[in-house]
Amino acid sequence: MSNKILVYIETLEGLPAEHSLELLGKAGDLAKKAGLDVGAILVGYEVKSIAQELIYRGASEVHVVDDPRLGSYNLLPYTSAVVDVIKKTEPEIVLFSATVIGRELAPRVAARLKTGITADCTDVDIGDWVDPGTGRKYEKILYQIRPTFGGEIMAAIVTPQRRPQMATVRPGLFPIPPRDESRTGKVVEWSVNIPESEQSLVEVIEVKREKRKVDLKSARVIVSGGRGCGAKGFELLRELASVLNGEIGASRAAVDAGWIPYDHQIGLTGQTVKPDVYIAVGISGAVQHVVGMKDSKIVIAINKDPEAPIFRIADYGIVGDLFVVVPKLTERLKKKS
Amino acid sequence: MVNPYDKYAIEASVQLKEKFGGKAVGIAMAPPHAADALREVLAMGVDEMVLLSDPKLAGSDTLATSYALSVAIKKVEQRLGSVDLVLCGIESSDSNTGHIGPEVGEWLGVPSVSYVDRILEIKDGYAVVKRLIEGGYAVMKVKLPAVFSIAGTSYQPRIPSLRDVLAARRKQIDVWNADGVGLDPSLVGLVGSPTRVVKMWRIEIRRKGKIFTDSDVDVAIEKLLNELKKDGVPLGV
Ligand SMILES: Cc1cc2nc3c(=O)[nH]c(=O)nc-3n(C[C@H](O)[C@H](O)[C@H](O)COP(=O)(O)OP(=O)(O)OC[C@H]3O[C@@H](n4cnc5c(N)ncnc54)[C@H](O)[C@@H]3O)c2cc1C
Ligand SMILES: Nc1ncnc2c1ncn2[C@@H]1O[C@H](COP(=O)(O)O)[C@@H](O)[C@H]1O
Repeated sequence: MSNKILVYIETLEGLPAEHSLELLGKAGDLAKKAGLDVGAILVGYEVKSIAQELIYRGASEVHVVDDPRLGSYNLLPYTSAVVDVIKKTEPEIVLFSATVIGRELAPRVAARLKTGITADCTDVDIGDWVDPGTGRKYEKILYQIRPTFGGEIMAAIVTPQRRPQMATVRPGLFPIPPRDESRTGKVVEWSVNIPESEQSLVEVIEVKREKRKVDLKSARVIVSGGRGCGAKGFELLRELASVLNGEIGASRAAVDAGWIPYDHQIGLTGQTVKPDVYIAVGISGAVQHVVGMKDSKIVIAINKDPEAPIFRIADYGIVGDLFVVVPKLTERLKKKS
Repeated sequence: MVNPYDKYAIEASVQLKEKFGGKAVGIAMAPPHAADALREVLAMGVDEMVLLSDPKLAGSDTLATSYALSVAIKKVEQRLGSVDLVLCGIESSDSNTGHIGPEVGEWLGVPSVSYVDRILEIKDGYAVVKRLIEGGYAVMKVKLPAVFSIAGTSYQPRIPSLRDVLAARRKQIDVWNADGVGLDPSLVGLVGSPTRVVKMWRIEIRRKGKIFTDSDVDVAIEKLLNELKKDGVPLGV
């Protein structure tokens, strides 16, 4: 009998990724509701030392695959490792973070197991469901909740029959569980079957990553700039941010242009933030940006194009040239304080 | 309507064809009326289109859809010879899962790479691709055949000329049904889909949407600050 929820843990420089801990915490809540245990899947090379940390963060079992063949992330061998662990441990539910890695590893694993998967959940819950076709009742199954059709409609999705029930969950939505060194749990090491061929099909030639130094998660005010800003515009944003005691955010277009380092990027491939006030300046409002900031309490947009999509998700907007609006706003706020 | 993200993949396929030769074949699984929109794909330079269309496919989730697409790809292979590369968009504009690419790769038993920004090279049965990762990128060498999901805006979709549009009228759109491609009916549609949508609801847009268009920026700023004061979040204090 399967009796657990497992969370796939991504690691970064020898530490569990924050979004993985977040998900572990959320899985712990679900486990309580469903009467299951919560565990972690930890795959990589020289990652074993992380297992204890996962126990402190709430995992009651950690399934480790520590293997030199898994030294750097490579989809096919990782798929085989995760599938093998799932077959051996038969979990009810397996959750992944909806990151660039999670969004390709999770579906690959699901397809190999011929089970269902829901992408980019903004919430997961446990509930009962009666199939209206057959009248059959499924108890304590996973409700996978996500926006669909461009985000205006929410859908709840279940995987009634096949196991495990799988989902990727958006990062940045749940609190990171506190570290509690009194927690205990078991660490299980698995050796897995990785076909020879899978190791040679894809060769990782180069990985370039910038380390994230700025943490925007706890910022109350974020002033964010996009392609409309230019290097000059970011100087104006810094002045505005300093009057507001805020931090600087950016769209990917601005990061790619080199006006601001990557650790300020907000969105799908950047950070997820929810400050009290988010001011988007010269940002058009592409979905990949919006997923990273849409839970901000108040969104203010400054853009010269009245049709820019960012205005559709803003509480307030000023249509105008940012090179005029931002300095005036900064001056006005200085006077006030 | 052609999914906007797929246009990058279409552009990539046409550029590869122009550089390396070969044929670009489009595959869409959709209701019959989608045929009109597929003309646009042909106008962009794709040589022929397959429209996989069958009531049996209705209700397919990503596992079932990816299975159906993989069978259609094998059928194209039977007709035209080996397929070297399958290109997908990074996500569809209706379901936005991004899962179809990796799942098709799994059904076909070939490598898949998501978030491909650029195909740098194709040589000796391998492709070298640059892909996005959190915080940067990775370059990898991938044995073909493979499935790539194109995320890059580096393949800016071309706008077809009038001549392209006219030429597209003479190109072929094959409509295939489930039996024609030899699909296992138990793997598609609702029966073949492990997931069920149990509930849908509209989210109210909680945003206030007050946009100030005053030509006098000072007026707009005063209005903004007033509103924020009413909301209890006076800026700057
Ligand atoms: C797989 C993938 C992942 C991605 N991840 C991210 C991500 O994490 N974060 C992210 O942000 N993007 C991401 N993107 C990119 C995203 O799709 C958009 O390309 C990007 O967000 C656009 O940035 P922008 O709004 O700054 O630029 P643009 O879309 O070019 O918008 C610039 C805006 O500035 C306005 N403007 C110009 N000049 C002025 C002026 N003087 N005054 C006022 N307004 C002005 C214009 O009207 C326009 O609306 C991703 C894309 C892909 C495919
Ligand atoms: N019905 C379909 N027909 C053809 N291609 C599809 C279909 N659904 C998804 N795809 C491809 O898979 C990509 C990812 O889609 P999705 O997983 O639905 O977000 C899309 O950009 C398309 O390239």
